[in-house]
Amino acid sequence: MRRGVYAKRIVYSSMVSDFFFPQPGGVESHIYQLSTKLIDRGHKVIIITHAYKGRTGVRYLTNGLKVYHVPFLVIYRETTMPTVFSFFPIFRNIVIREQIQIVHGHQSLSSFCHEAILHARTMGLRTVFTDHSLFGFADAGSILTNKLLKFTLSDVDHVICVSHTCKENTVLRASLDPLMVSVIPNAVVAENFRPLHATPHANDRQSGGTSQLQHTPRPIGPNDIITIVVISRLFYNKGTDLLIASIPRILASHPNVRFIIAGSGPKAIDLEQMLERNVLQDKVEMLGAIRHEEVRDVMVRGHIYLHPSLTEAFGTVIVEAASCGLYVVCTRVGGIPEVLPQHMTTFAKPEEDDIVLATSKAISALRSNKVRTERFHDQVKVMYSWTDVARRTERVYQGISGDISPQEFYGYYPGEIQEAGSDRIRNFSLIDRLKRYYGCGVWAGKLFCLCVVIDFLLYIFLEMLFPRANIDIARSWPKKLNEASSTKTERDRLGSTS
Amino acid sequence: MPSLPDSPPPVPPPVPVETHPNRAGGLKPPPEHRALPDPTRLAPEDAYYSSSLLRGRPGNTNYEEQLRPLSANTATAVSVAALRPPPAVPGAAARKENRKLRGTGVRRRRKGAWKKLLWVKQSYPDNYTDTETFLDHLQRNPRVRPYDFWPLMADSTVIVQHVCSVVIFVCCFVGIVQGRVSPVSVVCWGSVGTAFGWVLWDWWAFTEHAEDKRPVERVAEGDDGSSSSSMTSSVNPSNSRPNGQRESQVHGLGLSMASNIPGAPLRRRSTGLSADSFTAQDPASPPPGYSNGNTGHPQSQWSIYQSSSFLSRNRHRLSTIKSSFLIYFSLLGLSPILKSLTKSTASDSIWAMSCWLLIMNIFSFDYGSGEGAGGTKFPASLSTNAAVMASTVLASRLPSTTHVFSLMLFSIEVFGLFPIFRRQLRHISWTSHIFLTLALVMVAGGAVGITLRGGLAGAVVGSFMGSILTALAMGGCSWWLISLQKYKNVVSGPWDPARPIIRRRWD
Repeated sequence: MRRGVYAKRIVYSSMVSDFFFPQPGGVESHIYQLSTKLIDRGHKVIIITHAYKGRTGVRYLTNGLKVYHVPFLVIYRETTMPTVFSFFPIFRNIVIREQIQIVHGHQSLSSFCHEAILHARTMGLRTVFTDHSLFGFADAGSILTNKLLKFTLSDVDHVICVSHTCKENTVLRASLDPLMVSVIPNAVVAENFRPLHATPHANDRQSGGTSQLQHTPRPIGPNDIITIVVISRLFYNKGTDLLIASIPRILASHPNVRFIIAGSGPKAIDLEQMLERNVLQDKVEMLGAIRHEEVRDVMVRGHIYLHPSLTEAFGTVIVEAASCGLYVVCTRVGGIPEVLPQHMTTFAKPEEDDIVLATSKAISALRSNKVRTERFHDQVKVMYSWTDVARRTERVYQGISGDISPQEFYGYYPGEIQEAGSDRIRNFSLIDRLKRYYGCGVWAGKLFCLCVVIDFLLYIFLEMLFPRANIDIARSWPKKLNEASSTKTERDRLGSTS
Repeated sequence: MPSLPDSPPPVPPPVPVETHPNRAGGLKPPPEHRALPDPTRLAPEDAYYSSSLLRGRPGNTNYEEQLRPLSANTATAVSVAALRPPPAVPGAAARKENRKLRGTGVRRRRKGAWKKLLWVKQSYPDNYTDTETFLDHLQRNPRVRPYDFWPLMADSTVIVQHVCSVVIFVCCFVGIVQGRVSPVSVVCWGSVGTAFGWVLWDWWAFTEHAEDKRPVERVAEGDDGSSSSSMTSSVNPSNSRPNGQRESQVHGLGLSMASNIPGAPLRRRSTGLSADSFTAQDPASPPPGYSNGNTGHPQSQWSIYQSSSFLSRNRHRLSTIKSSFLIYFSLLGLSPILKSLTKSTASDSIWAMSCWLLIMNIFSFDYGSGEGAGGTKFPASLSTNAAVMASTVLASRLPSTTHVFSLMLFSIEVFGLFPIFRRQLRHISWTSHIFLTLALVMVAGGAVGITLRGGLAGAVVGSFMGSILTALAMGGCSWWLISLQKYKNVVSGPWDPARPIIRRRWD
C-alpha cells in the first residue's frame, strides 16, 4: 500500500577508508563485499583509499567496482598522516567526478575516513560511518581517538556498528543519539567456508577433494583424535596467554586431542617456548601466518575451533569456523555472545580454568555425538549473508537521503519534543554544524569549530579556483541491470520492512 | 510472556534462543516508572551527566494529542507501528487506544521481544534501541577506592621527605657559595650520617637474617605487599606473581654479583665524565653498598645476600668498603675537571638549569614502596641522574677543588644513598619514619631560615614556620585530592578488554 514512496533511486556512494586490498583483513573484506553487493542491487559504489605499494591510481575490481588509490603519506600500520585539510582538493574532485551523494567511512582509526566525512559535510553530502572495533575509555590513546571520533561523528548522518555491544560503545564514545546508530553485522561468504563433507556445488572451488565430498561425516568414536583449531594473530588482546596456559592442561587430560595453531605475532615465541618446555611438538602443529584463502583449508582439518580472545567487536572468524562445521569454544567478551546460537558454541569466562573446562565439555559433547556439526553450514548461511548486509545498508542510505520518512526511519516517540527529532536530520547550514561541533568540549569544541570554518573557506576557495563546470563527469561502468532482479529486490525489501 | 505487555504472542523462533539475561524473567517494571517511552533514558549524556536531560518528558495527555493526528493517516500509523512498536506502555487508557489503532494484521505479524542477538532475523529496524537492555552492562566507577584523609597524609610523608632533602641540599650549596658554611664540614656531617646509616642497615640485615631463614618467601611477601600498597593501582594482571618473583630474584642476583666484582665500577668510570652520573646510581660508597642503587629490590637482593653464609657477608662488607674508597678517590681525581666543566656557561643559565633539573628530580622520583615488580616500572635512574647533573652543573660555580669534591660527594650521599635508606627505614619501622620526616622538615625549615635571615633566630623561626607550612600543605593537598574524587567517572562495560585470569604460568 505504500509502494509509491519506494521509488527506487540509485544511490551514488563512496566508501572511504585507509584499509583496503591488497592489505588483508576484516575491514578490507567488509568494504569489498558490501560494495559488490550494493552494486548488485543497482547502486553505484566507488572506493577511496590511499596508495599502497604497487597499487596507485584508479583500479577496477570485479563487477566494475572502481577504487581510487590516493597518494598519501602512510605513517603507522597503513594509517595515513592526519592532516586535516590536505585531502580536500582531490577528494572534492573525485566526489564531483563520480557524482557521489553519500560518503561512507569505515573504521575509527582511519584518518582518511574522518577527513572524508568532514569534507563531505562541508560539501553538503550525506555521510555514514561504520565502526568495526571496540575502544575503552581509560588509556590515553583511547581518549584521543574518542575525542577525534566525537569530532567526526557530531555531524555524521548515521552510524553503523557491527554488534550491539559495539553500538553501546560507540554511542558512549561519541555521545550519539542511539537511534542514529544501526546495528548491521558482518557476514561471511558461506560458499568459501564449506565443510569438508558438504555436497559439491557446480561452482565448487575445491578441486582436490571431490572423492570424499560425497561422504557423510563419520561419527566420532571415543578414541578418535579430536583436532582443535586456533586461527588468530598471536597478540595479547587475542588471548594468547590464555591459550598458552590452557593447552598443556587440555592435552594432559585428553590424550587423543591435537592442536593446530595458525597465525603469527609477538606471542608466538611464548607459545613455542611452552611447547618445548612441555615437549608437545608432536601434538601441537604450528603453521605460522596463513593467507585468508587458506583459512578454510585449515579449519576443515579440525573439529573444534577455540577462540580465547579478550576483546572482539564481532568475531567474524568464529562465524567462519561455524560455517566450516566446527564446534566453537569462545570467551564471553565484547560482541561475541550475540554472534552465534547456543547450540554451536560453548562459552567460557576469560579465565584459564574456565577455558579448560569449556573445551573439555566441548570435547565430550563431540564424542557423545550430541552436536550436529554437519548442519552448521546451512544454518550459518541463512543467518549471515552479504546480500542481507547490503540490503540493510541500503535502508540506511535511503533513510538519510530522505527516501524513507524520518518518522519511519527513526521510529516515533510520542513523548518527544519536536526539536530532538529534527536534530537527527542533519542540515548543512554552517551555523547549525558549528553548533553541533561546539558542544564537543570546552577547548575541543572551539578547536573543532575553527577546523570546520577553515574547511568551509577552503571549500569556497576551491570552488572559485577549480570550478565545478571544469571537472569532467566520469562514465559509469556499463552494466546490464535487468528488470527482473530489480523488481525482485524491490519485493524482498518491501517484505522485510513492512 | 515477554516483557512487552501489549505485544501479541511472539512467533516462536526457529531455534531455541538464549535471551538476554536481563530479560530472562520477563520483567515488568511498574507502569508509573515507564509512563512514557522516553528516549532520554537512552541518551548517552545519561552516562555522563545525570542532570542533563536534553529532551523533555511531557505527560500522557500530550502523548494522546500527538498520537491523534497520526491516526488520521492510517498508512503512516501502520508503517510506524510496523517499524517500531512503542517500547513501553503509555498508561492504561492510552494502551487501549493504542490497540485499536495498531491491532491490524501488520501488527499481528510482529514478533515478540527484541533480543540482543545478531544471528536472529528480527523484525525490528536496525536502529532499534531497546530501552531495557541498552547499556545495562554499563558500570560506572567499578573499582574506585575512596581515599581516607589520614592514610593519605601518611603516604604524603614520603614526598615531604624527598622535598626536604632537596631543600637541605640547596641550602647547603647556597651556604657554601656564600662562604657561610665550610664545605668540608658539610661533607663530614654528611659522611658521618651515611656511615651511621650503613651501620644501622648492616644491623637490620643481621637481625633480619637471624629471624628469617627462607629468603624466597620473603621476596614473595614483599611482592605481594607492593601490589596492594603501591599508589599506582595499575598492576599488570598478566604478570603473575610467581613470574615476578623469579624476575626479581634474577634481578637481585645479577646486581649483587655486579657489585661483588671490583672491576665493575672501574669499567664504568672509564667511559668518561658522563659516567659520573652513573656512579651516583651505583653508590658503592660506605653505607648500603650492596644495595647498589637498585631502588627496585633492596629487599630481595638483601635476602639472597642473607641466605649466603656469614663469611660471604664479611667479604661483601669488605668489597663495599673497597668500592667506596674507589669512588672517593676517583671523585677526588675528577673534581678539577668537574670544576671547569661548565665554567664558560653563564651563571643565569646554570641557575635555571639546576632549578629545572632539581624539579625534574622531585617529579620523577620513585616514591613507591620500592619492592616487587611495581617498583621497577618507573625509571628511577632519571631522577638520580637529574640530581647529580644538577650538582655537577652547580659545582662549577664553586671556587676550589675541595669545594667541588665536597659538593659532589654530598650530592651522591643525599640523592643516591639517602633515598634507599629512607625506603628501608619506612619498611622496618613506621615510627622512626615519622620521626625522620619531622626531623627533616625541621632541619629543612631551619636551613631555609638561616639562608634567608641568618642566625639562630632565623633557624628557629624557619623550622617553626616550615613545620606549620608543611603540615598545612599536606593537609590541604590531601583534602583537595579527596574532594576531587567526586569528579572521577570511569565507564566500563563489555567492550573493555577482559583481564585474563591465569592460574599459573607454563613452568
